[in-house]
Amino acid sequence: MSSYLEGIIMLSGINLIAVLGLSLLTGFAGLFSFGHAGFMAIGAYSAAICTTIFKLPFFVGIAAAAAAAAGASWLIGRATLRLKGDYFCIATLGFGEAIRLILDNFQGLGGARGWPGIPPHTTLVNILILDVIGVVLLANLVRSRHGRNMIAVREEELAAQVAGINTFKYKMLALVVSAAYAGVAGALLGHYMTFIQPKMFSMVKSTELTIIVIFGGLGSISGSVLGAVVLTFLPELLRAVDKWRLVVYGLAVIGIMIGRPRGLMGGFELTPKSVRAHFARLREAKAARADQAAEEKGGL
Amino acid sequence: MAQFLQQMVNGLSIGSVYALMAVGYSLVYSIMNFSNFAHGGVIMFGAYFGFFAMTQLKLPFPAAFAVAFVGTAVLAVVIERIAYKPLRERNAPFLYFIISAMGASIFLENIIIATIGPTFRTYPDVFGRTSISLGSVAIGRLDLIMFVISAVCLAGLVLFIEKTKIGRAIQASAYNMKAAALMGVNTDRVVMIVFALGGMLAGIAGVFFGMKYTVYPQIGNITTKSFVAAVFGGLGSLPGAVLGSVLLGIIETLVAGYLSSQFRDLIAFVILIGVLVFRPTGIMGKTTEDKA
Amino acid sequence: MSDILQVRGLTKRFGGLAAVNEVDFNVREGGISGLIGPNGAGKTTIFNLITGVYKVTSGSVSFEGKDITDTEPYRIADIGITRTFQNIRLFKNLTVFDNVLTACHASASYNLADSLLRLPRFRREEKTLKEKALELLSILGLADRKDAIANGLPYGLQRRLEITRALALDPRLLLLDEPAAGMNPDETEQLMRLIGDIRNRFKLSVLVIEHHMDLVMGLCEHIVVLNFGQKLADGTPDAIRGDKRVVEAYLGGGE
Repeated sequence: MSSYLEGIIMLSGINLIAVLGLSLLTGFAGLFSFGHAGFMAIGAYSAAICTTIFKLPFFVGIAAAAAAAAGASWLIGRATLRLKGDYFCIATLGFGEAIRLILDNFQGLGGARGWPGIPPHTTLVNILILDVIGVVLLANLVRSRHGRNMIAVREEELAAQVAGINTFKYKMLALVVSAAYAGVAGALLGHYMTFIQPKMFSMVKSTELTIIVIFGGLGSISGSVLGAVVLTFLPELLRAVDKWRLVVYGLAVIGIMIGRPRGLMGGFELTPKSVRAHFARLREAKAARADQAAEEKGGL
Repeated sequence: MAQFLQQMVNGLSIGSVYALMAVGYSLVYSIMNFSNFAHGGVIMFGAYFGFFAMTQLKLPFPAAFAVAFVGTAVLAVVIERIAYKPLRERNAPFLYFIISAMGASIFLENIIIATIGPTFRTYPDVFGRTSISLGSVAIGRLDLIMFVISAVCLAGLVLFIEKTKIGRAIQASAYNMKAAALMGVNTDRVVMIVFALGGMLAGIAGVFFGMKYTVYPQIGNITTKSFVAAVFGGLGSLPGAVLGSVLLGIIETLVAGYLSSQFRDLIAFVILIGVLVFRPTGIMGKTTEDKA
Repeated sequence: MSDILQVRGLTKRFGGLAAVNEVDFNVREGGISGLIGPNGAGKTTIFNLITGVYKVTSGSVSFEGKDITDTEPYRIADIGITRTFQNIRLFKNLTVFDNVLTACHASASYNLADSLLRLPRFRREEKTLKEKALELLSILGLADRKDAIANGLPYGLQRRLEITRALALDPRLLLLDEPAAGMNPDETEQLMRLIGDIRNRFKLSVLVIEHHMDLVMGLCEHIVVLNFGQKLADGTPDAIRGDKRVVEAYLGGGE
């Protein structure tokens, strides 16, 4: 495998972890975040502090990244998730920008010039292992009562409440898990690039993650996987027209919301069972049409 | 003391431009109940409209100014028609509005980068660098003009909302869109007018930001401050948005003057966090209960 | 027969306007009670006050002898009260089965780790939840629609699904907000029988807000009449029918 191709695969694997987290928050719990790059930044810097300054093993760095990002998200959630209106959204926007500004001005960690010399611990193998763990844990979560409660919050908050669901608690759970995923992705990214800089985690990064979730489909894990892979490869293939890429993405996002709001996969999960069921439905529909046609003929 | 007064005046001037942004944003929020995150893109277009009207079309400042705010009013309405109206019509969840707004914002910023390019451009120097002295306080001519025009626009908006029929329809819709529709208010028209007004104010703010700083595709990111100002003043309240903006402008200028200019941008977020933790309804906001 | 719900001096002001003013009434245990009154009389507001959706201005609500005034909405279901909404609020994009399964959550106690790792407790309880949801759906006659998307159901079945979802929480008091709204006489008739069956089968008490006079008079053993946020009368259907004030304010008012 060429190292170029391997590099793109690794990047899409890293993106995937952040996207899975955001998929839980936006696709399943229905919350919108502008600040996920901020959680990635917290993860990247926490992990780098562990491995570079304290010389701790990489897995400790990853765990610290997840914990630090989760902790930060908990604080934001505590302040905003009980409030009605767009407070959460605005807070994530403010948070993402604030983290970047703080890191820009914090010379101890390299400031705006960035922090080089992070050990290259990230490998294709540990990315893939974490991807698999990430997908399995998320799939298990959304198909449990905890996941169903999050979906209920997205669907109809008041009904969820009177059905005994503590909506604050489940929004918080979605947020914290989601931030932990972003933290892990940040840790992997830092130890892949061996260099981190605050501007790597700008709002553009947050919106790119959201775009992937939306393209893959709100409420579909397999869609997020597909989205993360395709949308990381696509820009590499389309280098020549790169400046038009985001123009097209912007229009496509509006188009999806207007025409097919649940995204390309539309809440559909790609599993062997669902594929079989889909074909069974198609056969049934065909049979029903045939019956109807026969009936109409008979009626004439 | 003189320095303090000087900072206050500068803060008031920049705060009044923040108010133009924040009022436009709050106006839309009060009607539609969602944050129009494409507002920044409209402001950015205002800055470019004004810039090109002056440099390419060689228009004098007042004409270029008019081109900018008419252009952004039209732009804001077009965005509403394309990106939000279909969602409104099928009662889509708010999440979809926010995502659609994000799409519009990405589109606006990147269409400029793709066609005009990412370079920073400087407005022609219309007002000169001279300043007017009032005792020990020197006021830049641009700052003074920014403040006066912003104040006039805001006063005009208040008159429009308080005194005209359509203004009262806007008030009714902000209170309860469905009820207003039942009472015979054409809510579709109200939404259109609200976007046009918001767009107009955004265009004016865009020209001022372009003149005070420079023009570049990411200048719309400055709207983050209008969100903070709106939360600070009380989300959805127009007087709150003005008050929050002016205070934010003053606090920012004081921080830049007395502490460090690096903290200038950070202070907005410190305020945001403080408000969310201690008084989420902001200075003038009130809590509301959903009608079940 | 004792009272399962007691409402005392219940008042709710929005701004200066009293939507509900000093209302007292009881709901009998095991009974079907009705809450009637013209539009804007404050019926739904009372439901919102009982279920904690609105904060009470003054007065109290107690359930099975315990004060539950201003309990958070999500705790109300735990306490034993569930409700439906006037403008149906289903989990629209989910299947009929998932709507009910979600509401069954309170019958399970597995924790987050059980979920994430699919531990035995998760599998065991999840199986019970699914059986429970299916059983409820077949009792309410929705089993053959279980894979349909809730939003696509005919109106009458959406109402029925909302009731099923409320029952999934094993309530002892069920609050129904205009369950017959938008139904034709046939469907209303069916609904009346359904409400009676539910009461008997699940051994619960029902409080129903209704405009259809036939339904209220035929179904309820006890009726509370509201007008302009105040209680006008309260008694058996016969007593209500004979009450002059009620006839003036409501029955005679062209309804």
